[in-house]
Amino acid sequence: MLTAVGLGLLLTIVLGMTGIYNGIIVDATALPDSLRADLWIVQRDTRGPFAELSRLPADLEERARAVPGVASARSYVAHTIQRDVPGGPQIRFTALGLSWPDDHGADLPLVEGRPLSQAHFEFIVDRSLGLALGTRIPLGRDIYTVVGITEGITASGGDPVAFFTRSDAQKIQFDKSNEAIRLDREARTARFRRSQLSRNPDLARMSTAPANQIPALGPAPVSAVMLNLAPGYQAEEVRGRLSQWKDVTVYTQADQHQLILGGIVEKTKRQIGLFRALLVVISTILMSLIIYTMTLDKIHSIALLKLLGARRTVILGMILQEALLLGGIAYTLAIVLGNTIFELFPRRVAVENSDRLLLLLVVFVISIVASIFGMKKALAADPNEVLAG
Amino acid sequence: MSDTAPAVEARLLSRHYGEGNTYVKALDKASFEIQAGEVVALLGPSGSGKSTLLTILGLINQPNEGSLRIGGEDVIRDGQLVGNTNLVRRRQLGFVFQRSNLIPFLNAQDNIRLVLDLDDVPGRVARRRARDILEELGVADRATHFPVQLSGGQQQRVAIARALVHEPALLLADEPTASLDKERGRQVMELFRTAARERNAAVLVVTHDHRSLDLVDRTFEIEDGVLSH
Ligand SMILES: Nc1ncnc2c1ncn2[C@@H]1O[C@H](COP(=O)(O)OP(=O)(O)OP(=O)(O)O)[C@@H](O)[C@H]1O
Ligand SMILES: [Mg+2]
Repeated sequence: MLTAVGLGLLLTIVLGMTGIYNGIIVDATALPDSLRADLWIVQRDTRGPFAELSRLPADLEERARAVPGVASARSYVAHTIQRDVPGGPQIRFTALGLSWPDDHGADLPLVEGRPLSQAHFEFIVDRSLGLALGTRIPLGRDIYTVVGITEGITASGGDPVAFFTRSDAQKIQFDKSNEAIRLDREARTARFRRSQLSRNPDLARMSTAPANQIPALGPAPVSAVMLNLAPGYQAEEVRGRLSQWKDVTVYTQADQHQLILGGIVEKTKRQIGLFRALLVVISTILMSLIIYTMTLDKIHSIALLKLLGARRTVILGMILQEALLLGGIAYTLAIVLGNTIFELFPRRVAVENSDRLLLLLVVFVISIVASIFGMKKALAADPNEVLAG
Repeated sequence: MSDTAPAVEARLLSRHYGEGNTYVKALDKASFEIQAGEVVALLGPSGSGKSTLLTILGLINQPNEGSLRIGGEDVIRDGQLVGNTNLVRRRQLGFVFQRSNLIPFLNAQDNIRLVLDLDDVPGRVARRRARDILEELGVADRATHFPVQLSGGQQQRVAIARALVHEPALLLADEPTASLDKERGRQVMELFRTAARERNAAVLVVTHDHRSLDLVDRTFEIEDGVLSH
């Protein structure tokens, strides 16, 4: 019985590995899926914004909007933030900027609360971050309030996604300490004084202004621009048109999936796949050993059965039955245990019914393979052994 | 199987072990017949070849030479097993050993049913026959006990029940009374006698106990593998 438990735990791990792998795929694609874009414009020759860094000028959104067939264009701005909440735990999430005022986050799968209703200081966050509705947290020099909760929206690394208006998101991203800002400004002013431009009083005043008010510096870049198509337009058609722009590359949603799964997830997949294979091999060896010793324990009875004229098939069937029973108990344990403990894992463990079925099949095969050694031993048992000892 | 044929016909059965220095002639050209309904005691000193003869008759040990017919059917010809050995074991043979040799994880009733199950006797019939034979041997009240919960004598009765339940033509018993006291040893011999009479079985029983010899029909003696009768 204890051996069945051990085997069950091993199978739980096999199942868990599968779930973790599935979870990684779901996590990795949850964000692009939730954004429901038809096309993604990214920096030329990059595989952004998920698999690789991409930078685009902020005005690209406007340019894209003018292309025929484009119903809407939204900038994609995201970055990961890890902060200590005063008096609370450390939190880590991906801050994503919505194109306020066009996008309030109304399309997001909200399970609680509401979309954003003002341009600043509100955000929507995934439940997995563990912040309750109405929680107020300081980020940079401002305090932000949770107004909505989504479920299952994570960035490719599994971090929960928080949705801000784009300007808030960028403000949080470029949030610098007062000291950094002062040093920055001083360096700029010093550069300015050394140049000929310092005779212009307007410029002189501007050189000490905040960075975002200086025309020559321009607004912060965005990572990508997401497009949604107008009815009646094909993705390929619009993509062809955009491809003539020399500074961008355009991907469809399907391309993005492929980039994410091919790039980020591919190695993880092989890693977990190999690990899983190893566990299956270990389970088989362990089970073979168990069945073998169980057969040895009963060798006297098996010899007796032979003496009583039991057919080979009866004896072999007995051992196979034992193996299948053991496998069955271990499998049931793995399923039950998995259902209870996988929820407690910090990252998503997505076990599908098809995975459970596959595991059942694997256990079945393991049981059969494992019983082979026991069967060999049983067939070799001599009825004479009944008389010995 | 014909009614007139002897239950056992052995012709020139020989068995030797080892080579050169270790060569032992355990059984030397044994020929004999045992009739159905007859109880025969096999006597002989230790190492004389009693168990060798019994295991050859039980088809779990093969002779080097000789032939054997059980219930009129050839089962060993010129030292070779012929026909369906398993079927003969299931239908024609019953074994009782010195120790009871019950299967430890089955209760008394199931140990007996096992023999019938192995021969595909339908469940209802098997259950009834198992109950009847336990009744007959006076251990019906122990039907659901496991072997460890039974006394030595009770275990031996259950073992005898198992050896008889399928109405074998030949019952082989190797020192079945050795682990029992005088009283119970004699009871076991009486059981064999009754079984032989009522079930028309041939019984060959190895024994050292000369006090029970009044219960047997004939005795075979064996010394250094040579059988005399
Ligand atoms: N498997 C074997 N290998 C070698 N020699 C054997 C084997 N089995 C029996 N013998 C030898 O054959 C001879 C007869 O043995 P057997 O077991 O038939 O004697 P036995 O009459 O039953 O003795 P006991 O009364 O002690 O049970 C003995 O000399 C024994 O050593
Ligand atoms: Mg012996």
